[in-house]
Amino acid sequence: MNFDLVICGVGGQGVLSIAWVIDQAAVEAGFHIKQPEVHGMAQRGGAVSAFVRMSDAPIASDLVADGTARMVLSVEPMECLRYAKMLRPDGWIVTDVTPLKNVSAYPDTSRLFEVLFSAPRLIAVDAAALARQAGMVKANNMVMLGAAASLLPVPAALIEKHLTALFAAKGERIANANVEAFRMGDAAGRFAAALVADGVPAGIVARVVPRLAFQSRPVQAHITEQWLQRLRAPDAQDAAAHLFGAGELLAADRGPSALTA
Amino acid sequence: MDRILLGDEAVALGAVEAGISAAYAYPGTPSTEIFETIRRHAAEANPPIRGLWSTNEKVALEEGVGVSYAGKRALVSMKHVGLNVAADPFMNVAVAGAHGGLVVAVADDPSMHSSQNEQDSRYFADFAQVPCLEPSNQQECYDFTREAFELSEQLHVPVLLRLVTRLAHSRAVVKSAPPRAQNEARYVDDSSLYTLIPSNARRAYGKLLDKQPAMADYSENHPANALTLRDARLPGILVSGVAWNYLQEALGPALEQYHLLRIGVYPLPVRKIRQLLDASTELWLVEEGYPFIERYVSALGLLREPPIKGKLTGHLPRSGELTPDALRQSFGLPVREALRLRGLDEVLVGRPPRLCDACPHDDAYAAISEAIADIEGEVRVQGDIGCYALGYLKPHQAIHSCLCMGASIGMAIGAAHAGMRPSLCVIGDGTFTHSGMAPLLDAARADVPIKVFILDNSIVAMTGGQPTMATDEQVVDLVAGLGVRRSRIHIISPTPQKKAENVRLIRDEIARDGLSVIIARRACVTYAKVIKEHRRSCKPASV
Repeated sequence: MNFDLVICGVGGQGVLSIAWVIDQAAVEAGFHIKQPEVHGMAQRGGAVSAFVRMSDAPIASDLVADGTARMVLSVEPMECLRYAKMLRPDGWIVTDVTPLKNVSAYPDTSRLFEVLFSAPRLIAVDAAALARQAGMVKANNMVMLGAAASLLPVPAALIEKHLTALFAAKGERIANANVEAFRMGDAAGRFAAALVADGVPAGIVARVVPRLAFQSRPVQAHITEQWLQRLRAPDAQDAAAHLFGAGELLAADRGPSALTA
Repeated sequence: MDRILLGDEAVALGAVEAGISAAYAYPGTPSTEIFETIRRHAAEANPPIRGLWSTNEKVALEEGVGVSYAGKRALVSMKHVGLNVAADPFMNVAVAGAHGGLVVAVADDPSMHSSQNEQDSRYFADFAQVPCLEPSNQQECYDFTREAFELSEQLHVPVLLRLVTRLAHSRAVVKSAPPRAQNEARYVDDSSLYTLIPSNARRAYGKLLDKQPAMADYSENHPANALTLRDARLPGILVSGVAWNYLQEALGPALEQYHLLRIGVYPLPVRKIRQLLDASTELWLVEEGYPFIERYVSALGLLREPPIKGKLTGHLPRSGELTPDALRQSFGLPVREALRLRGLDEVLVGRPPRLCDACPHDDAYAAISEAIADIEGEVRVQGDIGCYALGYLKPHQAIHSCLCMGASIGMAIGAAHAGMRPSLCVIGDGTFTHSGMAPLLDAARADVPIKVFILDNSIVAMTGGQPTMATDEQVVDLVAGLGVRRSRIHIISPTPQKKAENVRLIRDEIARDGLSVIIARRACVTYAKVIKEHRRSCKPASV
């Protein structure tokens, strides 16, 4: 088993913390790892990335080759595109949809989403909204770690354990809120991955999931099934586009009845 | 014990467990985490490890030499360009020799992720005629560091440990060995070796030359310099350091179709290289950094048989770090298919680093730029190294040079002597104490009409918030002590509210003859908490 992961975002978004947690969990799960990251000047609001290479055999290179990564995990929607060429054709993009516009040339977001949402294997979530719900606005990164968790080769329970350890020194409230953020992200990620696996086009899933509120537990199977039926309907594409544009949050657990075209 | 460590952290742990008594460093990406890690472990050692974030790399190495002279072990760490600053003690301690183990860990930055050049520190070891160990992975970072101390004491030479960014800043599991006790303090028996007046220096240099065969033997027999000859006429590969990792990744099982010599220890193992050349139909040279080995082995490209393929011949990229993809391309292997998204290029823009929100440098640059805006003719501002180098970029575009640590003041002196008026420069508090004081002394002695802006934000911010050597009134005292008249030292508070006042003051000083120093004093916003901690503790830089 080889799993090459690219984690990316903007300096200050907690990219390196995501990598640290996965490192610890992967080693405890028995994997070899190599995990390069960017320090120094780039961390001043610039593009930041880390790679986590996991394998059951010793790993030679610290760098990931183009076309070999299984996943790009991003805390910012434009940043994930910077590393798309590192993905295998069947690789996943897991990204927050909250743009961080600290450059004047930042692209038009509707065009950005059009390109991003054309990715065949995509999980898009509104990490900022879920982090707010979890009571920790800075926990976007842990929401995103959660959103990716079901697709990583490491058990979610181990990730949670090391995530808790990372925040332990900052007190129980902060540690709990980050765990909560992780679990909400996990619920969103599992939900989105299930829909994509059952054939709902990733572009539809990507427009619906960021507009759903998730609890800190997985969406129940029969509710997911209702969403699956709804998003297979002929008007699903329009309904998804409308929901994404409107920007209000629906509760995922209440099923798709509130979704209208 | 198994731990997940950065290459830098593995070096630090290796040094601590090799029994160092002291460590010195100047922060610089990608080497900073070495000393930071030692600081965290310093108190656990018995006796506690001493050391400093030194004023600059030259001082750091001289402090390390002092420890060695007193019989104990010291690690001195810096980035590659830092070794230029420390070149004087480095070249000379090579002649004087080491008594207690002395290891200089230098982190190179090929591709210049955070540097102004990609110089290759192996040249310095070669220049000084001392051994260089070049780990290829994090475990070797630990092992080679421990070994470097043994080697240093065995051959009585300083040893250079060469790291590169992708090793320094990459994590893997590292196994450590039982720690070794520190040395007892005992001065070197023969002080003449460290007293390099010419008569002694000739003798000491003779001793360094006498040590060369032992270094060559050490390298020739070292398991890290592993020669694998296959039973056929095949092409060969000579590969060093982290390039070995990329080579395995790029070529995989195809590597079995090559004779192979891996290099991890220098001076170069000449006999093994001879064997490889004799066995190979052609020879690939794959090394991270400059074509250091290639220049030797190919005799600058003069060697025709067997044909050599490397960076000098255009078979590998001449600049930038190696990657598995670059090697695949060089060896004619197809690039792997990747995900393609239509329209991606239209919606992807660069995101360079920028000054933080509410950064004091923003306001300093805004005031300087406005003050010089209506001066007729071109005005240029010499810049320096630190976060404020970002002032070169939009929106400020306020500085017009950034050469090396401390260069701004000297360059402003030169521009003034070339007839430029006004001649301006900016330098941070950390860079000023690193190497800006000597040129300011020049300016003060000759009253050169330059205007020096010291951006005092109370911290070394760019490398992660290391303590500054002087801030607030300490900076004023240093400037005055160097001979700048108190009446020509001004302190401004770089804030949006004070902008008009600051612009007026800068204009007035530019209009006056002679040397002025304007200190823009406001603490870094990002490291406000750290600065408070530094202010509370009286010896912030030491352990």
